[in-house]
Amino acid sequence: MKKVILSLGVWGFAAVALAQEEAEVPALVSETFGSTRIISGHSVETLEKKEWEYRIEHRFGNMGGGLSGAVDESLGFDQAADIRFAFEYGITDRLMVGFGRDKGSTSAYRSLLDGFVKYRLLQQKEKGMPVSMTLVGSALLSYAKASSDISAVSHYPKFAHRLAYSTQLNIARKFSEHISFSLMPTWVHRNYVASDDVNDLLAVGGGLSVKLTKKWALISEYYHTFHDAATLPNLQDCFSFGAEWKTYGHNFHMTLGNSSLFNEAQFIPFTTEKWLDGQFRFGFSISRSF
Amino acid sequence: MYRLALSFFLLTTITLVNLGFKGKGNVLPKDEVDLENLPVELVLTNLGAPKYKHSVAKLDMEKAEIGRQIIFSGRARGKEHKGKRFSPYFRCTDCHNLVKETDSPTDLNPADRLAHAERNKLAFLPAYSLWGVYNRTAFYGGDYGKVYGDKIKNAKDSIGNAIQVCTQYAASGRLLKDWEIEGLLHYFKQHELRIKDLPSLTAADKKNVLYWQKLDQKEKQALRAKIESAFLQSYPATFVPALALDERKYGEGGNAANGALIYRKSCLHCHAGKRVSNYSLDNSSLTAKMFVKNLEEFNYASLYQIIRWGTFTKKRRKQTMPLYTKEQMSDQQIEDLVAYMKQLSEK
Repeated sequence: MKKVILSLGVWGFAAVALAQEEAEVPALVSETFGSTRIISGHSVETLEKKEWEYRIEHRFGNMGGGLSGAVDESLGFDQAADIRFAFEYGITDRLMVGFGRDKGSTSAYRSLLDGFVKYRLLQQKEKGMPVSMTLVGSALLSYAKASSDISAVSHYPKFAHRLAYSTQLNIARKFSEHISFSLMPTWVHRNYVASDDVNDLLAVGGGLSVKLTKKWALISEYYHTFHDAATLPNLQDCFSFGAEWKTYGHNFHMTLGNSSLFNEAQFIPFTTEKWLDGQFRFGFSISRSF
Repeated sequence: MYRLALSFFLLTTITLVNLGFKGKGNVLPKDEVDLENLPVELVLTNLGAPKYKHSVAKLDMEKAEIGRQIIFSGRARGKEHKGKRFSPYFRCTDCHNLVKETDSPTDLNPADRLAHAERNKLAFLPAYSLWGVYNRTAFYGGDYGKVYGDKIKNAKDSIGNAIQVCTQYAASGRLLKDWEIEGLLHYFKQHELRIKDLPSLTAADKKNVLYWQKLDQKEKQALRAKIESAFLQSYPATFVPALALDERKYGEGGNAANGALIYRKSCLHCHAGKRVSNYSLDNSSLTAKMFVKNLEEFNYASLYQIIRWGTFTKKRRKQTMPLYTKEQMSDQQIEDLVAYMKQLSEK
């Protein structure tokens, strides 16, 4: 009979390997903004892996203007300047995609399909990385019937002329539990533009969120477009502000802004409305995540 | 004279043979036995206890490694055995510690558990530790039937079925395959309880463990009962509702320092940075104000409610938040947490 030596010290000390310390409270800063959008443009937030989101976005007509006057048009509520429906999906915690349909309200772009890819490059940490950063690439396709007017951009001599693109780098920092700020340098390229327009435009945006409570925040967004004043004399910077209400599954934005359009490839090159002329409108967006 | 010599020779021979004879059983030369590391299962079996239903005859380290991977990362990643995560939401270590949570294996006092967690840098979790789970003989006792009903009918005395209930319902995941269950059993076997883990055994008890073959039946039964009472073979679970409004102290008399500890080791373990949950909590006054505002409610933002009830599977999201039984968190600890929230909200 073999001697049984029960020397189990090795197994006993395997208990050391078991020692499970409390999870280090993650140093990652989350919820810099309450939603994947600040107002019209993107924020640094991405959807979680396998999370779906459905968005309905709406911009009404000018509150202070219009052909018939503000009151006649119910402060712009009679008009729908732009409407967008979209599905967005988190492929991973860092990568999300979206696909939407947009009314469009410019002569060049109507009946739009848009798609985007957004990737989180960096995430702010409590100690270490000071900012979060995402890169967004989006494309617009107009499927409207081509105009017979050969001088119009919407004549679309080639299919590629129906397309416009934007690329945006989103750099944000959560300064405190209340204040977050984002900087958004953006490049817009339109394949086909009018003779007095330019294909490429550079803009830089700024976004601000002021959290009042865990559910409510004040939000604001501003885009300045760099262009030659002689080339696009009517082009205006976009400025919007509003309130954000966040519930467990929904996110609501209620805003006022001069831009009536969605997608950077629309509102950056096509905003001509002026705040001081009453050309601002009420807008809302509702998103529901699954 | 001749007879005397023969008698002496025979007596000596018989004595020497008896001393050298190694009969059946596990009596070993004293200096070859590592008493402290004797498996409790082996000792109890020697004393007449039935083998565990899930008893592992021979530890297989490769299988134990599979179990370790499943526990720590939610899936096995070996060359031969590769599985998908058993739950998209949880790993075992999100809800269970793997080491003892109190100095004494029979101590269920949540205050002692919290103090032990602080000293040993452990999380303060809603589910019982998996330390010594191999030596348990009953599962989902107490009030678990109120929540799980018939789902735990076949899991009360089967560790394999108990694991399946956990992965499928508590973790909102899938059933494990047989090889995955086997891996977990071997992992648990690897970390089974040993004599050194039972501090209530005296030196006399340990000597009896060593020389168990010399005990009579009554002594064996007594020793077996002593060992079986030195650790918990099943854990109680008392589910309690949210305190009624007139029973809530709203943090009065609560220890905010304790509350800070509970918040860090319990709530933030899952909610900080959305590590496990998709609802983020942090050390901001905004979060604290939300909790303070809802102290008189019975909704998800009410600490009195959410700690005792957890959350349940919804169509939109299957992940649940496990509740804290009375044994895992006391009413006083909830008051400590409320006191901390009030302090934090004024930051």
